[in-house]
Amino acid sequence: MEFTLLWAALTAIGFAWLGTRIWPERLPDHATDRMVGAAAAGLLVGRLSAMLLQGTNPLSNPGDILIVRGGVHTGTATAAAIATYLWAAKWKVANLDATSPAALMGLGGWHAGCLWRNACLGSGSELPWAWAQEGSLISRHPVELYTAVGLMIAAWLVSRLPWRLLTKSGVALALAGLVRLLTEPMRPSITGGPVVWYIAAIVVGLAAAIIGPRFSPGPSSPT
Amino acid sequence: MRKALSLVTRALVLTIILAACGASTIETSSAPGVDLPPTTADEFEVHLATLEKPAVVNVWASWCLPCRAEAPLLNAAFEKYGSELVFIGIDVQDNQADAQAFLAEFGLEFDHFFDPKREIANHYAGLGTPITFFFGPGGELIRAHSGVVDERTLALNIDELLNLS
Repeated sequence: MEFTLLWAALTAIGFAWLGTRIWPERLPDHATDRMVGAAAAGLLVGRLSAMLLQGTNPLSNPGDILIVRGGVHTGTATAAAIATYLWAAKWKVANLDATSPAALMGLGGWHAGCLWRNACLGSGSELPWAWAQEGSLISRHPVELYTAVGLMIAAWLVSRLPWRLLTKSGVALALAGLVRLLTEPMRPSITGGPVVWYIAAIVVGLAAAIIGPRFSPGPSSPT
Repeated sequence: MRKALSLVTRALVLTIILAACGASTIETSSAPGVDLPPTTADEFEVHLATLEKPAVVNVWASWCLPCRAEAPLLNAAFEKYGSELVFIGIDVQDNQADAQAFLAEFGLEFDHFFDPKREIANHYAGLGTPITFFFGPGGELIRAHSGVVDERTLALNIDELLNLS
């Protein structure tokens, strides 16, 4: 048994909680609980989607659902997490804006959790801060830490945006996709990675940020 | 609402914990319907020593849930790197019929051996099932990964092997 994924998940929750303390403005009650619940729902849906795409029937093999290391589908997981959060917030879309910086912090915390999992390294690099796996002579980019830093910068940027409906949340989704897209070439991969879904996140996020304010007469006002 | 969130949070934690668990000259045919060739640790070591390419050796069993989860990934890795690396499966503590059903379900087309006493994994000090060993050319053990191997871990260690050759 090993608990590295658990530590990484707790790091993500810790960073999300920190985000709610740094940017508490207009947050709904129990924002961290809602984010954790949404992440759990996203994890479940993403795992089920990955199983179906791999040709494994979740109904005849329910035990496989628990093996999250077997793969989680990025696109459906993200969509399910957002939908669950909206449901938990009684479909008050403006709550997405208030939670976006903390959610990006949480996602950044998940990537920083690579330190617990010994899973930070990517493609080879001669840069001075690159390091090698134990027993290896090949130094590598700590790509997951780059991603963590990028997402935390994105959280700060989103926090500076004006309160207009879907502006913060749309830009947050686009920046999350952009940070992952920019770091993906440094990430070891067999399937090529979910690049299409990163691009989809950028397009959908920017569209939401542009279109959202047109459906709101004034600044977004979550409860 | 809070109860529902608490339940979901517990489910997440439980999911993550459970996810963390966890032949000298040998005949290497693993055609459908043909019994997997039995092998011993010594025979397997000699076999590895004859390989000119690095090898990814996955220890699995048909009863092992995490093995099911990683099988599609191993198949994808074999399809991508099968010409540069040798992929070998070791079915442990299993029976031939269930092993054949497992291979048929996941279409794992690389060579597999039958190790009912789990001698090979024990020989390389590998704990638990599944476990994935990464060997350099000639059978030098580079790394062992216990538990389900995820895509990033498998890809990173394959990259290490490719840089050896």
